[in-house]
Amino acid sequence: MAGKASTTTPSTYSPSPNQRKRPPLFKDGDLDWVRPDGRGFHQCRPAFFRTGAVNAAAGSAYAEFGNTKVIVSVFGPRESKKAMMYSDIGRLNCNVSYTTFASAVRGQVSDQKESSSMLHKALEGAIRLETFPKTTVDVFALVLESGGSDFPVVISCASLALADAGIMLYDLVAAVSVSCLGPNLVIDPISEEESYQDGSLVITCMPSRYEVTQLTITGEWSSARINEAMQLCLDACSKLGKVMRSCLKEAASASEEP
Amino acid sequence: MTGLSLGEKQFIQGGIAQDLRSDGRKRLTYRPIYVETGVIPQANGSARVRMGGTDVIASVKAEIGRPSPLQPNKGKVSIYVDCSPTAAPMFEGRGGEELSTELSVALQRCLLGGKSGAGAGIELSSLIVVEGKVCWDLYIDGLVISSDGNLLDALGASIKAALSNTGIPRVHVVAEASGEDQPELDISDEEFLQFDTSGVPVIVTLTRVGRHYIVDATPEEESQMSSAVSVSINRKGLICGLTKRGGAGLDPSVILDMISVAKHVSEQLIDRLDSEISASTVSCSISQCLMWLENVLNLLSSLATQIEKRLMI
Repeated sequence: MAGKASTTTPSTYSPSPNQRKRPPLFKDGDLDWVRPDGRGFHQCRPAFFRTGAVNAAAGSAYAEFGNTKVIVSVFGPRESKKAMMYSDIGRLNCNVSYTTFASAVRGQVSDQKESSSMLHKALEGAIRLETFPKTTVDVFALVLESGGSDFPVVISCASLALADAGIMLYDLVAAVSVSCLGPNLVIDPISEEESYQDGSLVITCMPSRYEVTQLTITGEWSSARINEAMQLCLDACSKLGKVMRSCLKEAASASEEP
Repeated sequence: MTGLSLGEKQFIQGGIAQDLRSDGRKRLTYRPIYVETGVIPQANGSARVRMGGTDVIASVKAEIGRPSPLQPNKGKVSIYVDCSPTAAPMFEGRGGEELSTELSVALQRCLLGGKSGAGAGIELSSLIVVEGKVCWDLYIDGLVISSDGNLLDALGASIKAALSNTGIPRVHVVAEASGEDQPELDISDEEFLQFDTSGVPVIVTLTRVGRHYIVDATPEEESQMSSAVSVSINRKGLICGLTKRGGAGLDPSVILDMISVAKHVSEQLIDRLDSEISASTVSCSISQCLMWLENVLNLLSSLATQIEKRLMI
């Protein structure tokens, strides 16, 4: 926090040391710990979506889930590069990048390359590629702040941006992740909880069709736990799908008003 | 693999539906698996696995390094896969990069477990030499020499075999160091620590064609898939990682069914792999014995010629 300016030279500021010590997240063996933001174990962060964030893009969306802020722009369908072969279905090109100030420590987050290919796989099942042959749709995602559970937020925001761009979709794509912390299943973890996790499950699904387009599990799980986690996530995805739909309806009705 | 005609596609799909694949296998049968360990002498551990036409080599190299400040009581493991152009001409240069990244990420997810280290196939805390200062860095490199489908399973098996063959040199701390200095180390050339690889998971890829799942798909079968699920299962039957590939959506009940089928298949695969690995290590040690005997005989014969010379003079 910046200190007050001295009276003699009002243009110079000196930072005052502000000792802020946060207690560790949970100690081992602490059975009834509370999440830092006071949520229940099975409670997601409140979701905020807004379409039309970027004027120049064909479609765009901004999503904010607690401290995770993501902006996605969709450009297209545009002519494919001449070097690419003819294809009678459209192409999807995804790119996910993190700003340098996105994480607590300045610098890149490790899983940037794989995020782009995973976003591609998550979205390609939902897009009707045959409606734009010979062209490419570009999806560019930028993570402004990485507050935990980034990848699911990127997917949800990207599908909203695609809908805003008018690309034909089978269904909106909603994604949720669940962390396994000891014996507890914690939904929509923040970055602190993610650093202590024993395992994670990220599920991407199309709520209306009840189909899973992508599933990624890390850590050690038993089948019963996977079942439990999947049911939890699918429930959350359907609620998230409703929130996304209402956001699109709001945007559409706002643009209809003269 | 050139494009398939409509008749060939229907033949593949129909065969899978009737539990009789194009090469005569059943849906849940693997191709013959051959494992050789110790194929790269300069590496700390190595293995070559052949599954039908798929040929992969995994090598493990261990180097002394510093543990990361966030986890000072754990060593580091990095897994990297390289698709060689000998497998397919499109892998030359940057062409194979996407597939390499996908395989590397999937293997890291399956073998290294969660962030806190739970469910990891390799016990990272056993790689520590001096806490906070010195640890072993394991570099696991996979090389795809020939690609005939089912690369992920073959790479998982080769990494498991390479780890069973790995010997980490024993390290003695000669001089303690205070503060930021590195302690002096004595790395022995003779004594080696072996890994216990019974906890390393295997990867089973289930490919869904039509309404049925097959294991160990050939490239023709993979081209007909709607989606594939790669499950990593360890000896205790716990899932250590799961990746869904392919664009088509799957009903959640289908995924749970695939997981249980994968568990069933993995039991047989783990037994088969373990027996192959132990068979290859036994033959290795016999050949090592023979080499040692040969060395001793050479030494004795050279000694004998020297004694003769001395006596003559």
